[in-house]
Amino acid sequence: MRTIRFIIRKEFQQLRRDRRLLPLIFLSPVLQIALLGYAANMDVKDIPLAVCDQDHSVESRQLVTSFLESGSYVAAAYVPDAASAERSIEQGKSSLALVIPPEFGRSLTGRKAAPLQLLADGSDSQSAAIGLTYATLIVSRAQTAQAAARLLGLDPRVLSQIKAVQVDPAVRVLYNPTLASRNFMVPGVLALILMVITTILTSQAIVKEKELGTLEQLIVTPITPRQLIIGKLAPFVLISLVIITVVLFASLLLFGIAVRGSLLVLYALSLLFMLSSLGIGLFVSTVARTQQQAMMISMFFFMMPMIILSGFVFPIESMPPVIQAVTYIFPLRYYFVIIRGLFLKGVSFAELWRETAALAAIGIFVIAASVLRFRKRLE
Amino acid sequence: MSQPMDAGTGSATTAGPAIRAQELTKRFGPFVAVDSVSFEVPAGSIFGLLGANGAGKSTTIRMLCGLLAPTSGTATVAGIDIARNPEGVKRRIGYMSQRFSLYNDLTVEENIRFFGGVYGLSDRELVERQRETVRLAGLEGREKLLARELSGGWKQRLALGCAMLHRPGIVFLDEPTGGTDPISRRLFWDVINELAQAGTTVLVTTHYLDEAEYCNELVLMHAGRIVAQGSPGVLKREVITGSVFEVECSDPVAGMSALRGVPEVRETAIFATRLHVSLDRDQDIETALAALRSAGLSVSGHARIVPSLEDVFIRLIDRNGAATE
Amino acid sequence: MSRMRIATIMVKELRQISRDPATLGVLLVVPLFLLLMFGFAISLDVKHIQLAVLDHDTTQYSREFLQSFLHSEYFDLKLVLDRENQIDGLLDEGKVLVAMVIPRGFGRDVANGQRVEIQAIVDGSNGNTAATAIGYVQAVAADYSQRAFVRSLERAGVTGMKTAIDFQPRVLFNPELRSANFLIPGLIVLILMMTAVLSTTLSIVREKERGTMEQISVSPVRPLELIVGKTVPYLFISLVAAATILAASRLLFGVTVRGSWLDLGIVTLIFLFGCLGFGVLLSTLSDSQQVAFLLASLLTLLPTFILSGFVFPFRNMPWIIQAVSYLLPGRYYLAALRAIMVKGVGFPAFGNQVLALLIFAAATGGLSVLRLRRQGE
Repeated sequence: MRTIRFIIRKEFQQLRRDRRLLPLIFLSPVLQIALLGYAANMDVKDIPLAVCDQDHSVESRQLVTSFLESGSYVAAAYVPDAASAERSIEQGKSSLALVIPPEFGRSLTGRKAAPLQLLADGSDSQSAAIGLTYATLIVSRAQTAQAAARLLGLDPRVLSQIKAVQVDPAVRVLYNPTLASRNFMVPGVLALILMVITTILTSQAIVKEKELGTLEQLIVTPITPRQLIIGKLAPFVLISLVIITVVLFASLLLFGIAVRGSLLVLYALSLLFMLSSLGIGLFVSTVARTQQQAMMISMFFFMMPMIILSGFVFPIESMPPVIQAVTYIFPLRYYFVIIRGLFLKGVSFAELWRETAALAAIGIFVIAASVLRFRKRLE
Repeated sequence: MSQPMDAGTGSATTAGPAIRAQELTKRFGPFVAVDSVSFEVPAGSIFGLLGANGAGKSTTIRMLCGLLAPTSGTATVAGIDIARNPEGVKRRIGYMSQRFSLYNDLTVEENIRFFGGVYGLSDRELVERQRETVRLAGLEGREKLLARELSGGWKQRLALGCAMLHRPGIVFLDEPTGGTDPISRRLFWDVINELAQAGTTVLVTTHYLDEAEYCNELVLMHAGRIVAQGSPGVLKREVITGSVFEVECSDPVAGMSALRGVPEVRETAIFATRLHVSLDRDQDIETALAALRSAGLSVSGHARIVPSLEDVFIRLIDRNGAATE
Repeated sequence: MSRMRIATIMVKELRQISRDPATLGVLLVVPLFLLLMFGFAISLDVKHIQLAVLDHDTTQYSREFLQSFLHSEYFDLKLVLDRENQIDGLLDEGKVLVAMVIPRGFGRDVANGQRVEIQAIVDGSNGNTAATAIGYVQAVAADYSQRAFVRSLERAGVTGMKTAIDFQPRVLFNPELRSANFLIPGLIVLILMMTAVLSTTLSIVREKERGTMEQISVSPVRPLELIVGKTVPYLFISLVAAATILAASRLLFGVTVRGSWLDLGIVTLIFLFGCLGFGVLLSTLSDSQQVAFLLASLLTLLPTFILSGFVFPFRNMPWIIQAVSYLLPGRYYLAALRAIMVKGVGFPAFGNQVLALLIFAAATGGLSVLRLRRQGE
């Protein structure tokens, strides 16, 4: 329709005039993904460990070595006693502290229980939990070794009756053999950036004209709500395509992370996602009376909840059912599944139809709602 | 200026007024912005809605344009009911809102092309009308300036031009000359007259009483109600019974208080350094002058004047804001 | 500096705020609302790992082994499979995280004390969850092996075999390892920062867009006075919001403040100053509210979420990124919050954070003044 063409042209003309806006729109995603893609790393390795070896025996040194060579820990400090170990944790210099008391080696060789202490920084419960799990495993292996050593001294007949049970899990990791959380996080960061930009762009779309007064002049013309909404959306859909390409390219260059699935599917579904995201921003724009209201609503009721609750880093399955129900309206939730599936698992469209349908439904609903809500009246 | 496109509503052969309002009312919650307003605007005339800020002029005009739904009452514009078919109304009218609403970050020609396109002009028409509008607004050579870079007078003419691109038979102008210099205002009214002569009906709101003189017919509004209606001449004759004298006195403020106690003096108003004294009978001027002199003020001159609309207005609305008759 | 002029500006700003109850409501109530919604939702505990099992052995031993998985709170048995080719599809669709295959002969090998291998196929997409899940699988398997071993020792009559190492892990500060204690402070930082920055960033740009800025430039008001006058009302509002969410985190989430409330208050005050100042700075850099909002969102929302130490540990980040994180006030405030609330330490331990926050507040305030001065000319 001709009218829509005129609206689109006007929008582009206005975008060009705001000197700071266009560079921001295109450059900031690249900067963001560079910054955040490298930062969003949850691998728990190189946990800073404070080592307090008060024993200095062969056994104690063996234990320390097994900790440090496990790849999970790195020696943050060598401290003389338990008190300084605690201080090291208090000051945040180490997350865990291994405290080996003076009787350790002697107790082991003397077939007594050898005390061993591990202090963990509970304020960093992530590292503490995983650090403890690994530590337990290391100690468990040391236990087994010790037990085996002790068995050597026993009667052979008794020995034959003992079953050294050993169940070993042979682990096969699919999709991400190195377990690098980066491969999971970078696509996630990509999705976050796309969501933030699209929502911000359209949340101003209509309400800005409301505030400046040009909307009044616009609604007195023969223009229809449908023409206006489509005209306002179209430029941003085009811009979205460019942004998607730019960030995909950036992730490839910076992180070497390429899409395993079909690129066409990725573009199509990303566009669908951005459409629903743009639609939400637009809907907010029709509801809000001032730009400030639009910003507050889109930030606090859409962007922040989506970032936290859509499954970027906090699993949805762990959330209370009420909140899980809320996440069903967040397009980002479905897009995370899509983008991670395409990047990591190389899934095809067949596995993603549910998410696609959800995105389409949200997009249609929100845009239709915007058209219906937009009255060519002033009150 | 070529004939308006919708000559059907603009030409004199159409039966019925271009605009008809009947008991038009608008309430915002408990606040009554427009209270039972009725008037008729014949086609091809210049009709003025006069009143102070907050009198209800803009609300009335917005209802007539289909921008606000009336709470009660009816109105037709170009024969179309504004409540039942606001979109039909919008197609046939031009509207210039109070804030000269152009896109500040678009150039002159971009603004014209946009509004023209939205009103459905073909490409050829767009080129023609753009040239015309630029000439009308005096903006030759300035087509590539951003709207925000234009000074008041040009902006206002550009906004008028954009509202006229589709050659509507009826135009609504809401405070079109707000904040511009007298010369620009004069030029603007020249354009309005041209439009009216070509058959376009113009409804203008203004709070400039001198501009009201240019209208064929006026409606004075105050607190949402019509307090007077008629052509400027009729209003001056009928509202001001008696005469108005202009008195030059040394201290107008003191003079006004001095005349307050004088029963023959109907009304006094300060006009810069002069007093306008309103009397029922010509001879009462002597009583007034005597009162001033006994208050210790010197009077340097006095003369009977033709009452202006401002005098009319002041007579109708006293200082406390209550309408008087 | 004229106190009168500042007061005038403050009064005007307060009046504008009071006439816009929606915004006021948002600034006061929304932080609490968000804390509640997020606080109850987020956790990093890897629990309820969806598990699929294929048992080729179906002996008492294999069943006992599987039971040890299900008894742990970490795993939820989602599906029992009967064919191996079902596994890949399940993992592709993300229906389970781990698929375990127990080979035929498992029971026989365990009974004979022979080493036996089971298969664990793990969805590695989320490396962290996968690593944790693998850790748990290994731990449960090791535990099962240990217990079976001890039982056979007892049956063989070997007594007095004490466990060689008496392992005593002790968790400081957060003994139950509730991730709430770790995460809630991060939430508080994010919520307060966004509220504070957004509230001021629009205040000046709005005047620019409406054209009322010129009048202010012409008046005798000096840039510093303008900033103070416009910021202080929002400081009060933010403080109230901060107080409510700190109280809520204590009452509803049990995040106790081990340290001093006074310390907490002072640090929060300085942090809010910096955030409000940052909002003002952004507004001097923007000509339209749209750009101001874009800048504010891009510079504070995601960076604070990801780079402040909320969820992602610093030590994993390349040093350049860590350097960038040093520019974020959120990083320091979070460290201070954790130090005061969870660790309960006194001022010297988080002195650096306070210093950094003071520098940030001064910097944003100073830059804003400079920019306003330049724009006024």
